[in-house]
Amino acid sequence: MRRPGQPTRARASRRSPGSARLRSRPWHPARGRGRLPADTLRRVKRRRLGSSRALASGIVASVLVAFLGARAAPPDVASGESAGLPPIVDRAPLAPPGTSLRRIQDEGVLRWGVDPAGGAPFAMPDPSDPRRLVGFEIELVERLCEHLGVRSEPVPADWLALIDNMKAGRTDLALNGIEASAERARVVDFTAPYYRYGEQLTVRAADRERYRSLDDLRGRRISVLNGSAAVEVLQRAGFRESEIVQYDDSLAPYVELANGRVDGSLAESIIAGYYAASMPELYSIPRTFAPGEYAGAVRKGEHELLAALDAALARMKADGELGRIYQRWGIWSAEQEQLGIVRGPDAEKVALASAASTSGLAWGPVLRELAVATGATVLLTAIAMPLAIVAGLGLALMDRSRRSALAWPARLYIQGVRGTPLLVQIFLVYYTLPVLGKTIGFGDALVWPAFAVGILCLAGNYAAYEAEIHRAGLEAVPKGQREAALALGMTSRQSLRLIELPQSFRIILPPILNDLVAMIKDTSLVYVIGVRELTAVALGLGKARLIVPQMLVVAAVFYLVVSVLADALGRRLEARLRRRGTPSVPLEPGHPHSGALPAQ
Amino acid sequence: MSQPTRASTDPQHELLLEVEGLRKRWPDGRLVLDGIDLTVSRADVVVILGPNGSGKSTLLRCLNGLEDYQEGRLRLRGVEVSRGHPAGHVATRSEQAALVALRQRVGMVFQQLHLFPHLDALHNVMLGPLHVQRRTRAAAREVAVAALRKVGLEAEAGQLPGELSGGQQQRVAIARALAMSPEILLFDEPTSALDPLLVREVFKVIRRLVYEDAMTMLLITHDLDFARDVADRILWMDAGRIVVSGTPEEVFRSAHPLVKRFLEP
Repeated sequence: MRRPGQPTRARASRRSPGSARLRSRPWHPARGRGRLPADTLRRVKRRRLGSSRALASGIVASVLVAFLGARAAPPDVASGESAGLPPIVDRAPLAPPGTSLRRIQDEGVLRWGVDPAGGAPFAMPDPSDPRRLVGFEIELVERLCEHLGVRSEPVPADWLALIDNMKAGRTDLALNGIEASAERARVVDFTAPYYRYGEQLTVRAADRERYRSLDDLRGRRISVLNGSAAVEVLQRAGFRESEIVQYDDSLAPYVELANGRVDGSLAESIIAGYYAASMPELYSIPRTFAPGEYAGAVRKGEHELLAALDAALARMKADGELGRIYQRWGIWSAEQEQLGIVRGPDAEKVALASAASTSGLAWGPVLRELAVATGATVLLTAIAMPLAIVAGLGLALMDRSRRSALAWPARLYIQGVRGTPLLVQIFLVYYTLPVLGKTIGFGDALVWPAFAVGILCLAGNYAAYEAEIHRAGLEAVPKGQREAALALGMTSRQSLRLIELPQSFRIILPPILNDLVAMIKDTSLVYVIGVRELTAVALGLGKARLIVPQMLVVAAVFYLVVSVLADALGRRLEARLRRRGTPSVPLEPGHPHSGALPAQ
Repeated sequence: MSQPTRASTDPQHELLLEVEGLRKRWPDGRLVLDGIDLTVSRADVVVILGPNGSGKSTLLRCLNGLEDYQEGRLRLRGVEVSRGHPAGHVATRSEQAALVALRQRVGMVFQQLHLFPHLDALHNVMLGPLHVQRRTRAAAREVAVAALRKVGLEAEAGQLPGELSGGQQQRVAIARALAMSPEILLFDEPTSALDPLLVREVFKVIRRLVYEDAMTMLLITHDLDFARDVADRILWMDAGRIVVSGTPEEVFRSAHPLVKRFLEP
């Protein structure tokens, strides 16, 4: 069967153990060339396809990039709703433009998009309590919300989805290292900038005398975060493509530098300050260059919301509150004063030491988190697979229909779905469903939460495969069975329900159970749209503690256990159907079920 | 064999089934039934003989609507129940409903048994009364048990078809048809797929239906002795036509070359 995620999963598992920031740093200036999708494509193109601008490849690649962007624990504690199941379902209210501030104040909560996989110091799961998010941006928005008199509710999503989620109404603000650019300002409205960064060059400490600037590194290989601003900086400085070595996450460029595969590494000062600084064999040259600014993004036309946010931000800048946050997170620099940010009173730095190792790791809460996430995985499968089987049957019956108006669309659907990767389908549905809803006049009715979209995609994808299985099963039932049923005076429908389907079901049970086990594992793909299932939570926990491989092994074991259990249950069902004894036919006329399952 | 108290000696001899000018072509244009005219009265036992490919089975399948046909019509107790339509005709909803109604009155037993393998004997037989006639479960069970008793398989009610011998399976199939209380029963070579040792028990059951229940039936067989035994009338078919028709004595004495060739040792 299809395994759309396999290559990427393999990649993920090969990552270096210490990468707390597995995913590329979002939206660097270099990517700020226009609308979001174009950003995405450009970014991907540069990484994967060299100079090729093939749209299709770009889409697939962007999906892969996004897939590599790991999800992590959403901050349900921050929203005060941590009871019971994890908040795998986000909400989607969207009022007429310009009224968001009022609604936010009425509801007393500001939902804002952030990618917890972005990592420290931006936003990441708290190593000591993965259900909580920590980071300077988390703190910043919490303070902003205090000024607005509302609660902060971070809505976790892949970084690539932040703007789309916000435009679809799933959130009202996107704030996560988003570079304010004129191009992007055509799509969204930006708040005043809240942080000014520069590019910072890092070299091996042993080379600090030899390489003092970019010029000294001419002709050498330099590692960067893929698609980041650093790429364009290097290109402008005359470095060739082959000399710009791009990596998928923030840590890898420094690891490779330390290993000696490259001679320098260029990244935003925040990243260099956090990751390069943790490696004593590296040295970051203090002078930064090619500055840029981060700002929050809101939907176009939300003037009141924008004004309120800017007013609060201005106050925080002026009274040292913002400066103090930066000092605490170790990212204060004199450049911030150019944004009007006043240095706050000295504050104790945030200690994230526990993130660095498994020692002292509290396995209790970790396993509990994984167990809850496994529940989400099982729930996804338990809902999506029956839907897929039923929908597949519908498709198979349409496909068999002599009426071409039924058969043709079914055929098209089956071929279309089987001919495209599940991963692409998930992204496509997640991003286009809200647009579709508005286009066809449903308003926000189709702004479905990620969990529902995940079920829809899994069920819709598997339905195409189940349809083929149903078709084969129905064809395997001897034609005489139908004739005998018709000869008894049954209608065509009765024959199908009472005679053909029960027999077909026995035939197709093994392949369906096989797909059930396959789906358990394919549910991992919906983590790309922010569903907190097993893979997402494992990666999130792993990255928060820099123990990704360990977490992946644990997740693999959980998957294995669930799969083996499902397999065992399936075998029992098969054996029961094979066993002689009470027949499995409904004994009351007009019973809605086909009688495919034993009554007892 | 003597036929002492055949119910077919019924003086009223009520006309049950009338076939009029039935003509059928396969989709490829081959003519398979070339103008069949036939009447069957109540309690008649009509045996159809003839070489393979002469259209015997197709005729039977036309009679209960499993096959469509292009010309002619079919009447049951004087009321038209189906008629020929030009090739390519798609049955309307009401035509389909008429076919379903027809099949409920005309039982069929197949050469290839066609029991429902996922249901035990009782439920195979119950299915029709329960889901087609919409009887209550208790009533359907009662009918089914009676039908199984008729074919001598009451004790095997709980067996799945796979656990029964071929002869027993065919008897269950007969019971399944009987349970619908059909006005006429069609047998399409009911013993051809069976081990010769098992043929007798099936014939015994059919014979009992003829002699005890005065069942009206059309029966295709290659067994001349059995035909002679039960038939009131024998139709000899060849190339889609009835070439000889009459009492067993008349047919077996017929000078028709096809019949003679067939009867020669």
